[in-house]
Amino acid sequence: MPDLILILSLTALGYFAGTWAENRHYRSIREREKQLLHIPAITMKDIPYPDGEICSSRLVEGSAVISIDYFKRLLAGLRNIFGGTIISYESLLDRARREALLRMKESAPDAAVIVNVRIETSAIGKYSSKRNIGCIEALAYGTAIDLKKQ
Amino acid sequence: MENSGEHPSVKTVSGQNFVLTNVETIPGRSIVEHFGLVSGSTIRAKHIGRDLMASLKNLVGGELKGYTQLLSESRDQATRRMVRQAVDLGANAVVNVRFSTSSVAQGAAELYAYGTAVRVE
Amino acid sequence: MNYTPKLPGRNHNVTPVSPLRELLVLLGGLLVVIVIAYLLLGLGADLLVSHISPATEQKMATVFSSRFSSHNKPTPREKWLQSIVNTMQEKGCVDLPYPITVQVADSKVINAVALPGGRIMVFSGLLNIVRSENEMAFILGHELGHFAHRDHLRGLGRGIVFAFISTLTGSSDGSIARLAARTVQVTESGFSRGQEAAADAFGLQMMNCVYGHVGGATDFFTHMPKNLDPGHIGHYFASHPENKKRIQALLVLQQKMGYQIGPLTPLPVWQKDTVRKKN
Repeated sequence: MPDLILILSLTALGYFAGTWAENRHYRSIREREKQLLHIPAITMKDIPYPDGEICSSRLVEGSAVISIDYFKRLLAGLRNIFGGTIISYESLLDRARREALLRMKESAPDAAVIVNVRIETSAIGKYSSKRNIGCIEALAYGTAIDLKKQ
Repeated sequence: MENSGEHPSVKTVSGQNFVLTNVETIPGRSIVEHFGLVSGSTIRAKHIGRDLMASLKNLVGGELKGYTQLLSESRDQATRRMVRQAVDLGANAVVNVRFSTSSVAQGAAELYAYGTAVRVE
Repeated sequence: MNYTPKLPGRNHNVTPVSPLRELLVLLGGLLVVIVIAYLLLGLGADLLVSHISPATEQKMATVFSSRFSSHNKPTPREKWLQSIVNTMQEKGCVDLPYPITVQVADSKVINAVALPGGRIMVFSGLLNIVRSENEMAFILGHELGHFAHRDHLRGLGRGIVFAFISTLTGSSDGSIARLAARTVQVTESGFSRGQEAAADAFGLQMMNCVYGHVGGATDFFTHMPKNLDPGHIGHYFASHPENKKRIQALLVLQQKMGYQIGPLTPLPVWQKDTVRKKN
């Protein structure tokens, strides 16, 4: 009986606190994406800028680790029985990757473009070895090109 | 079935087929403008039936059709989402597509597809 | 090439479904699956149990009985209890394919248990509050009921079902397994409650058979110390039904079967003295 109460309260905590944190994070992400829209991130290697204009280039990266909450884990466990898209993890992965991209762009605020962007994702943390997600780590890296000021 | 890089299920506003490539350009066509990074991700779980079949198959060997189907569904969904995002921006092709998969959960197939959305002529 | 800065209208990477709705749908589905599996497997277990012969049951029982060592010589208390059981069997009140032995264990616990294989263990705590032979006969009759209905095997069958469901749901998540186990446990208590009620009815029958009346049948429940009564909330999770309900059920059965109430047979003198000393 106390077990059941514990599970229910952890689930409720996960739901309310987790949803609040997620909404807050998404607001911040959307805000910053609007601000950093002027720096394109592309996966191509070549860019059609004349070589003479390029001032410098450097590797930039951004990473984020987003943790899971109990409610999401419960939902995923149930989903594993029936199959289908695990919607509780989707937002987690989405947030982690967008945050990593934003941090990468933020580390090169004067760049004209960031080329050859790659994004890596992995699960880390205490529960990653079992069937459950612990935390999601997303890493975005690319080469930032600075142009000579004209 | 060979996928020639075209995505017949999504058509652009002009009614042409959407093109995906994993090289820097669309061979034979020129890129007019680009819209930056687009991505599609998916995470799907297999159900208990597939698990049981897999453990049985572990004894006799052979292709795990259930898993193959699960992974190809994941790939389809991820690609479709990426294309939808590109279409939203007004693109009609995505170049330099990369797939990335990570084991975030043992019971699930996670796939991430990303590329650069462009408009080609 | 130019860069056209634009943001997508909506987020395609997240399914726009409310997580609460998802939770309800999945929990509902899980509940349905568990209920169906439980019913099917319970039916299967019951069918299987009816095919287990008493000889096999006794062999299974030797596993349990090896833990409890038998006394070399039965004490006077044990002889007395055994005589009550023997009377029941001699008078043809009950017909069991294996012999029943009664043993007394020294413990403050107020309980008697029926062990697989035909052994009844009575704890001395119980002996100390029993005031008449009829009361004791009801208790022994109740335990004989468990043997007659083969409750041990049915308990085993359901136990296997419960363990199977636990492993099935345990393969996905530890917390899910705990939830499922908790759900099954609550219904499991219900199953044992039905068995206990049937054993109560059997005990009443035994009393009527041996003494010709059922006076003293409910004495045990009224004598039981108040703090051992599970009460309203506890009783749902306890395997024995609430005492009031048991008394009620016995009174109803007595009226239905037309049993009489008669004078109580007193305890043997030496037992009366022990009880008086303890109380």
